[in-house]
Amino acid sequence: MTSAPFPDRPRVDAREKVLGQAQYAADVAVPGLLYAMLVPATIAKGSVRSVPVDAAMRVAGVVRVLTASDFPPPPAGGAGGPPPPPTITDQIAYRGQPVALVVAETLEAAIEGAEAIRPTYAAMAFVATIEGDGVEPQPVEPSTGGDADAAMARAVTRHEAEYVSPAQHHNPIEMLSTTAVWEGGVLTVYEGTQGSNMAKGALMRTLRLSADQVVVKSPQIGGGFGQKGGAQRQTAIVARAAMLLGRPVKLVVPRGQIFHNATFRPKNRHRIEIGADAEGRMIAVRYDADQQQSRQGQFPPAYHESPPMMYGIADYHGTAANLRIDTQAPGYMRAPTPHPSSFAFDSAVDEMAVKLGIDPLAFRLKHRATRDPIDDKPFSTHFLHECLTEGARRFGWDKRPLAAGATVRPDGTQVGWGVGCGAYPANVHPTIATLRIGADGTTRFAAAGHEMGQGIRSTIEQVLVRELAIDPAGLEIAIGDTSVAPQHVTAGSWGTASAVIAAERAAASAKAAMADLLAGRTPPAGNLHRQLATVRRPSIQVEVTTTGPGQGAKEVERLRQGGMAVSGPVYPQFTSFSYIAHFVEVHVEPRTRRIRVPRVVSVADCGRVISPRTAASQVRGGVVWAISACLREATEVDPRYGGWLNNDLADYVVAVNADIGEIDVAFVDQPDNMFNALGAKGLGEVAMTGCAAAVANAVYHATGKRLREMPFRIENLL
Amino acid sequence: MRSFGYTRPDSAQAAVAAFAAAGEGARYIAGGTTLYDLMKLDIERPAHLIDVTAIRGLDAIETGGDRLRFGALAPMSEVATNRTVLRDYPVLAESLAKAASQQLRNMATVGGNLFQRTRCLYFRNGAGGTSAGTTYPCNKREPGSGCAAIGGLDRGQAVLGQSASCTAVSPGDWPIALVALDAYVEILGAAGTRSLPVAELYRLPGNTPHLEFTLAPDEIVTAIVVPKTRAGRRSAYHKIRDRESYAFALASAAVALDMDNDTVRQARIALGGVATRPWRATAAEAALAGQRLTPDTAAAAGRAALTGAVPGRHNGFKIDLAQRTVADALLIAAKRTTA
Repeated sequence: MTSAPFPDRPRVDAREKVLGQAQYAADVAVPGLLYAMLVPATIAKGSVRSVPVDAAMRVAGVVRVLTASDFPPPPAGGAGGPPPPPTITDQIAYRGQPVALVVAETLEAAIEGAEAIRPTYAAMAFVATIEGDGVEPQPVEPSTGGDADAAMARAVTRHEAEYVSPAQHHNPIEMLSTTAVWEGGVLTVYEGTQGSNMAKGALMRTLRLSADQVVVKSPQIGGGFGQKGGAQRQTAIVARAAMLLGRPVKLVVPRGQIFHNATFRPKNRHRIEIGADAEGRMIAVRYDADQQQSRQGQFPPAYHESPPMMYGIADYHGTAANLRIDTQAPGYMRAPTPHPSSFAFDSAVDEMAVKLGIDPLAFRLKHRATRDPIDDKPFSTHFLHECLTEGARRFGWDKRPLAAGATVRPDGTQVGWGVGCGAYPANVHPTIATLRIGADGTTRFAAAGHEMGQGIRSTIEQVLVRELAIDPAGLEIAIGDTSVAPQHVTAGSWGTASAVIAAERAAASAKAAMADLLAGRTPPAGNLHRQLATVRRPSIQVEVTTTGPGQGAKEVERLRQGGMAVSGPVYPQFTSFSYIAHFVEVHVEPRTRRIRVPRVVSVADCGRVISPRTAASQVRGGVVWAISACLREATEVDPRYGGWLNNDLADYVVAVNADIGEIDVAFVDQPDNMFNALGAKGLGEVAMTGCAAAVANAVYHATGKRLREMPFRIENLL
Repeated sequence: MRSFGYTRPDSAQAAVAAFAAAGEGARYIAGGTTLYDLMKLDIERPAHLIDVTAIRGLDAIETGGDRLRFGALAPMSEVATNRTVLRDYPVLAESLAKAASQQLRNMATVGGNLFQRTRCLYFRNGAGGTSAGTTYPCNKREPGSGCAAIGGLDRGQAVLGQSASCTAVSPGDWPIALVALDAYVEILGAAGTRSLPVAELYRLPGNTPHLEFTLAPDEIVTAIVVPKTRAGRRSAYHKIRDRESYAFALASAAVALDMDNDTVRQARIALGGVATRPWRATAAEAALAGQRLTPDTAAAAGRAALTGAVPGRHNGFKIDLAQRTVADALLIAAKRTTA
C-alpha cells in the first residue's frame, strides 16, 4: 500500500459513451417486452373515485390497466421508500401522483391508452407552497456548540440577513425507467438506480417477496445526482404489472411526470446572524433554517452539516424546521443541504467582511478551524486554507480592488471577483468485495457501488492496476447488481472512498494468495495472469470485507441486509470533511443586465485524488451545477393548482454550454490517512458547495448590489 | 398522442387536394418541430397529417433581383447561413441563429416557423397528455375555460396586445425580423394563390385567443418574400433571454436603420417576447425619424416602443427590459457598416 499521488488515466467507459455504445437500464433488450405508461392524478389532494378503463382497453394493443386494487395494501411504517408507499393508491397526496398504469404491446398504444383514462376524484383543499396559509414549522434537533447567545452579546459587529434557495429538480438526462422480468418465481429489475439494494428492499416490502426472489441490476446511470438514490416511485408498479401479466414490462417515465413524482431539492430559507469581535474575528453564529417538506417526507433539513466546520467559530447555534405542505417527497439533490447552506453562510461571511472593510479572502484566512465545534472533535484533515491560497494564486486575486463597483469596462460592463467556500462530510460504508484473477488474462472485481458517470469504475481500476500487475483490458468491474455483491446506496460522496479501500485490500489479499501459491519460489516472468499460467493455476480468488473508522460487525450485517450502513462525518476519534474554495469572475451587462461567468478557479481538498481525470471532471460538473443553480434553475408552483408548472427541459432553465466559461480545477491532493489507508475523502458533492456564494459575492463586487435569493435573474439587477 | 392518417404528396397542389380529401382534423406538417411536440402534449390531435416535405422546389433560396425569396421548406439553418443573408440582412440571420438549437434549426423550416404556437406554460400543460401531469384552464386550448396565466405565474407573459382572455406571448424570432422588414408570404389554397404581409398573418387574442392565424385551414405558405432594402446592412436582432442559448426571448428587438451619416432617415423596429403577436413599434420608428442616433434618442425610441404596455403581476420588468433591448439593438445596428 502506498499513498503516493495517482497518475492520470483515461475514464474506463469514455470510448463506449462517445460511441453511444454504453448500455443503460432502458437499453437492455428483453424478448416479449410490453410497454407501460402511467396516468397522473390531476388533483393536488384527495381521493380517486373511479378509474374508468373501458376507453383505454378499446385502444388496439392495450393489454391491461392496473389500478389501486391490483396492489397489496401498502406496508406499515415509512421505512425505506418515499411516502406515500410506492405503489398505486386511491389516496392522492400531490398532483401528478400515479393513479393507473396502462400496459400495451407498443409504447404508442400505452400512451394512447393512458390518455384515454379520465379518472374521477373527490378533491380536497391543499397547500402547495410554504408561503401558503396554515403551514406550521416543525422543528428538528438544533445543532449547538458553545454559547452563541453569550458570544453574540460580546460581538461588536453584527450582520443579519435572510437567504433563499428555490425548489429545483435534478433533471439527469437519463430518464427514470424500470424494466421488470418475472420468470421462474424470480423478479429481475433493470433500473438506473444509485441504490439497487434500496430498490430491492422496496420491492420485497411492497410486493411481499423474499430476498432470493429479487435481483436488481443498475448497469450504468446517465446522471443520478440523488434523484436515483432512493426507491423510485414507479419500480414496484412496473414489477407488479410484470408479475400479473407474466411478461416483461418496461416503463420510461416522461420528463413531466419525473418532475411530479421524483424527489427534488425543496425550497429552503436561512436567517443568519454573525457576530465579530473587535479584532474582526467571527465569534458567534445564530442560524435558523427551514425547508419545504411533504406531509410524510423524511428528507432531513440538515443545513448545519457544513457551516460550523468552516471557520473555527466555537459558539454556534443552528435551528432547522420542516414546513409540511401537499407535495411529493423532497429528497437529496447534489450537495443536498451544503449547497444552499454554503450559499447562505458564505454570502453572510462575505457581507461581514464588507462590513468590516476587510478583503474577503484575507477575512477567511483569519479563521482557521481546528475542531468540530458541534461534536467537539479534532478534524482528521482540514486543508481549506491551502485551497484558498492556491486558488487565489491561480486566479490573481491580489489584483482585486477592495471596493464594489470599482471595475467598469469602457462599454459599461461591470466586472466583479468573488470567493466562496464549502465543505461536505467524508462518509464511508462497509464493502464486501471479491477479486478473481485468471490465467486467461481476465480479472473480475465485484463489490458495492454504482456508476453514474462520476467515475467509480475508473477509480477502482486505478487502484487495481497500480497495486497488481493485471491487464486492464481484461478487467471487469461488477457493481450496481444485487446478485454480484451486497449493494449499498452510492451517494453522499462515499462511493469512491468505500470502493477503493476494498480494491486496495483485495489487491493486497490477492498478492498474499499469490505468494502462498509460490511458496517461496521466485515469481515467474510476466504479469499476474502469465504467472498463474506458468504455475498452472486457472485463477485465484479472494474475498475481503472493509469497514470505515469505528465500524464493525453491526454495519457489515446492515450492508448484507441491504440497509443504510454509512458512518461519518463524526467518527470516534475525529470529524472528517472535504473542502473547496471557488474564485469567480462575473461580468454584468450595462443595460440589459445579463450576468456572465467567464472564469472560475476551484481548488479542492478531497484527500488523495484517486483518478485525476474523473476528479477534475467532477469539480467542473459541480461548478456548472452551481452556476446553473445560482443563475438559472427554479421549479415553479402556482399555489392555486399545485404541481410544477415549468415541468420540461425547455422551461426549467438549466445552464447550457454558452453559459459556461473557463473552469480551472486543482487539488490539494494531501491524503487523509486517519480516514483510510489510501487517504481518499469524497469529492462529487463538495465540488458544488460554496460556488453559488462565490457567484453572489462576485455579483456584489461588480455591482454593489447584494442578491440573497437564487436564482439571480435579469430583473434582479435592472 | 393518438393514431393518425398520413399522406406525403409531391406537389403543393397535391398537398392542398390531399387536405381537402382528408376532411376534418387534417393538418399540414413540415419539419414537425412544433407539431410533434404539441401532439405529445395532447394539445394538437390531428386525425390526418399531410407531410409537405416531399414537395420539390419549395426549399429554394433566391437572392437575385429586388427581393429575397425563401421557399417555405428551406431549413432555418440554411437561411441562417446564406452568405447574402448574413452580409446584407444580419437581422434575418440572427433571428434564425438565436432560435432553438442547431439540431432543431436543421429540421425546422422557415415556413413552418411562422406558425409556432405560444410557449405559455398554462397553454402547454394540462391538455391531458401523459407527459405533464397538470391541468390548467386555457382559453386558447379550450375556448371559454378561462385563463390561468391571468392571476398566476405570469413572468413570461405579454405586456402588449393582451386581452382579458389571453396574455400568451407570440414566441417567434424569425417572424419579428420579417415584420420589421415588411416581408410578405405567398400562399396556396383551394381557392388559388394570394399573398399577405407577414404582419397580417397574426391575430390579436381578443375574445378568441384560439384563433391565432389568418390563414385558412387548407392554405399553405409556399414562400416568404423580403423586399430588398439598404437598411438591411444596418440591422440587428437582439434577443435577451434567461440563458445564453436555447431559450425563448424575455424581450427581443428586430431593427433596421436607413441612415444619413448619424441621422436616421427611417427606422424599422419590431418587438418579440413581450407581445401577443409580432409587434411593429411604429411610434418608436416615428420618434427616431430625422433624429441623430445617440444613446439618448435610442433610449427614447425604446420608451416609445413600449407605449401602451400593461404589466401583469410578475412581468413588469419586461417593459423596462424591452425598452433597453430596443435601445441596445439600435446602437448595435448603427455600428454596422453599409460598405
